Amino acid sequence: MMSVDGLIAALRAQGYEADRATATSVYLSLVLGRPLLLEGEPGVGKTELAKALAKVLGRSLLRLQCYDGLELRDALYEWNYAAQMLHLRAAGVHDAQQSLVPNLEQEVYQSKYLIRRPLLQALEAPEPGAVLLIDEVDRADEPFEAFLLEYLGEYQVSIPELGTIKALTKPVTILTSNRTRDLNDAVKRRCLFHWMDYPDRERELSILRTQVPQASEALSEQVSRIVNKLRSAPFADAFSRAPGIAESVEWARALVALNTLVVDPEVLGDTAGILFKQREDVAQLLPMSASLLSPDE
Amino acid sequence: MQLGDARVGKWPINLLGFARALRRSGVPVDSAKIALSLQAAVAVGLEQKADLKAALSCVLINRLEDRAVFHELFEAYFKDPQVANQLLAQMLPTAQGEALANTRKPRVNEALNPKRAQDVQNKNNQPDKEQEFELDAAMTASDLVRLRQSDFGALGAEEFKLVQRLAMQIPMILPTYATRRQRASRAGRGLNWPQTFRQALKTEGEFLVLPKRGPQRQPLPLMIIVDISGSMERYARLLLAFLHQATVQYPKREVMVFGTGLTRLTPIFQRADPDEMLQGVNDTVKDFAAGTLLGRSLMELKARHPRTLVARKSVVLLITDGLDTGESAELDVSLQWLKRHCKSLCWLNPLLRFEGYQPLAKGASLLDRYADAKIAIHNLTHLEQLAKALARVVSSKRE
Repeated sequence: MMSVDGLIAALRAQGYEADRATATSVYLSLVLGRPLLLEGEPGVGKTELAKALAKVLGRSLLRLQCYDGLELRDALYEWNYAAQMLHLRAAGVHDAQQSLVPNLEQEVYQSKYLIRRPLLQALEAPEPGAVLLIDEVDRADEPFEAFLLEYLGEYQVSIPELGTIKALTKPVTILTSNRTRDLNDAVKRRCLFHWMDYPDRERELSILRTQVPQASEALSEQVSRIVNKLRSAPFADAFSRAPGIAESVEWARALVALNTLVVDPEVLGDTAGILFKQREDVAQLLPMSASLLSPDE
Repeated sequence: MQLGDARVGKWPINLLGFARALRRSGVPVDSAKIALSLQAAVAVGLEQKADLKAALSCVLINRLEDRAVFHELFEAYFKDPQVANQLLAQMLPTAQGEALANTRKPRVNEALNPKRAQDVQNKNNQPDKEQEFELDAAMTASDLVRLRQSDFGALGAEEFKLVQRLAMQIPMILPTYATRRQRASRAGRGLNWPQTFRQALKTEGEFLVLPKRGPQRQPLPLMIIVDISGSMERYARLLLAFLHQATVQYPKREVMVFGTGLTRLTPIFQRADPDEMLQGVNDTVKDFAAGTLLGRSLMELKARHPRTLVARKSVVLLITDGLDTGESAELDVSLQWLKRHCKSLCWLNPLLRFEGYQPLAKGASLLDRYADAKIAIHNLTHLEQLAKALARVVSSKRE
């Protein structure tokens, strides 16, 4: 396996700018074979990291989007009841007279009647394995975390009718969370943990250069400076949520589309809806525009 | 790599010491994590301090709130020799003159210096006793609007443990409502397919029993409104710290405090570290230990944060002594509004001082009339009592 530096370079080649701490945690997760739990504000690039990593490793990316009410049957496996029922009926016609309960049970619970969901797909992925992204795990409820424990700890799942299914190749597993609630300690214990911060100005600038190559250097620099200001002390307190990397990239794209050379208060006002998605936040932004746009220290 | 291996020097022992210091500061670190951290350190190498720090942090820490403590402790533990001397100077009482200004969290200091934690505790206890006398004489209300900032300090290691223990031992159980999630249930409407099949196989493929599934239940949204006026001054800090920890599992939690006005603390309560939360309260609350204007504060709630109450679902937990100094008509109207817009109104009166108390004061009698559940505590001396009463009043309105 490569080194931390090698990983940073490989991710960069895929268009993902990782800071050193993030790369270290990913590297450890690969070397130690542990799942990695990424927490951070929305839009700091948690999901993108998993996508880029899958490309770097040449593995397929399987994604499990979590939501309230997510069940085992959506995440792991489900039996194909309709097919099973057909099987039962067919068996009943042929052998109406014979008692075949033990056989019947084996016949009905065959793996061809198993509908594989992302977790099981990840375990059964052929060489070189898969990258499994369990996205926004905090949106699922607590009982769902319990389903994950066996997978996260041993890379295996138990299906009562079939037995235990172990991973052929350990899937690289990345969990992301926006911290809308605290995850269970049992889940956290099985994972490495990394908190993803907003990037510093330099890194944001290089992200903008890669993602929005059409933007002029001066514009990219101005965008990264303004967004950085919006996230830091005097400005950040006024907003319910600071803009993430995703927003700053979108904003830069919008400015390019509008043929903007330099951001002025008018353009800022027109495009505020890209940076902030709350009416109150947009209203807060406008009076600040003068001090935001002033060249800083 | 094994402990005591001559080829690696004292590194594993140092790491063990660091992990144990981290544990002393209240971060949960088990032996499996320490073993893993050794592997991680070998994997990234010891050449770069930043890499080592990132590696140890992602193995040893799994909560955001522990990150600040980890950072400070790491810097103090694996420091430059120069800083080491300064740190030593900080620890030795004789060299105090040369010490740097100590800006570490109390928890970090106690973890670095476990033997003296007891002394710190003793010192902390004494001012508390003095304060108690003060408070007994401070049971009067005033019309004056005094504006004052609270000056809550960060929690010491003992307080931190106490708050965490109470939050764990005394669960606040909220009433529940039906969600979208399905569960096996006899009263449910949908068919439980997996069980239906298992049953059918027992009867040679005939579907004789049809097990059902129905919606699962979830706790109701919670709104906590805490009185931080003069009479509640002494309890406010630990009370807030306890509420912060005890209701952390409820995602739909709103926290407001009031004195002469209303302050919304919900975003501050989302900071996981109790010390950061208390600091946030210090920065936000402007009317600490002032008068009690419940009616006006509730009007503010209605005007400024109307969406924070989930209509007919929110459980409102009102913690106040009811010694309201505002207009009683205003209080009456605002309590009626509150009552209409919540599922249940629970009133906890933590400052009841004598037996045979009757809610005769105007504010208290109004609260008494509108509250769905109420509990008063005589002679509050321990946080533990308060915690139990809180749990009791919240769960008393279970469906």
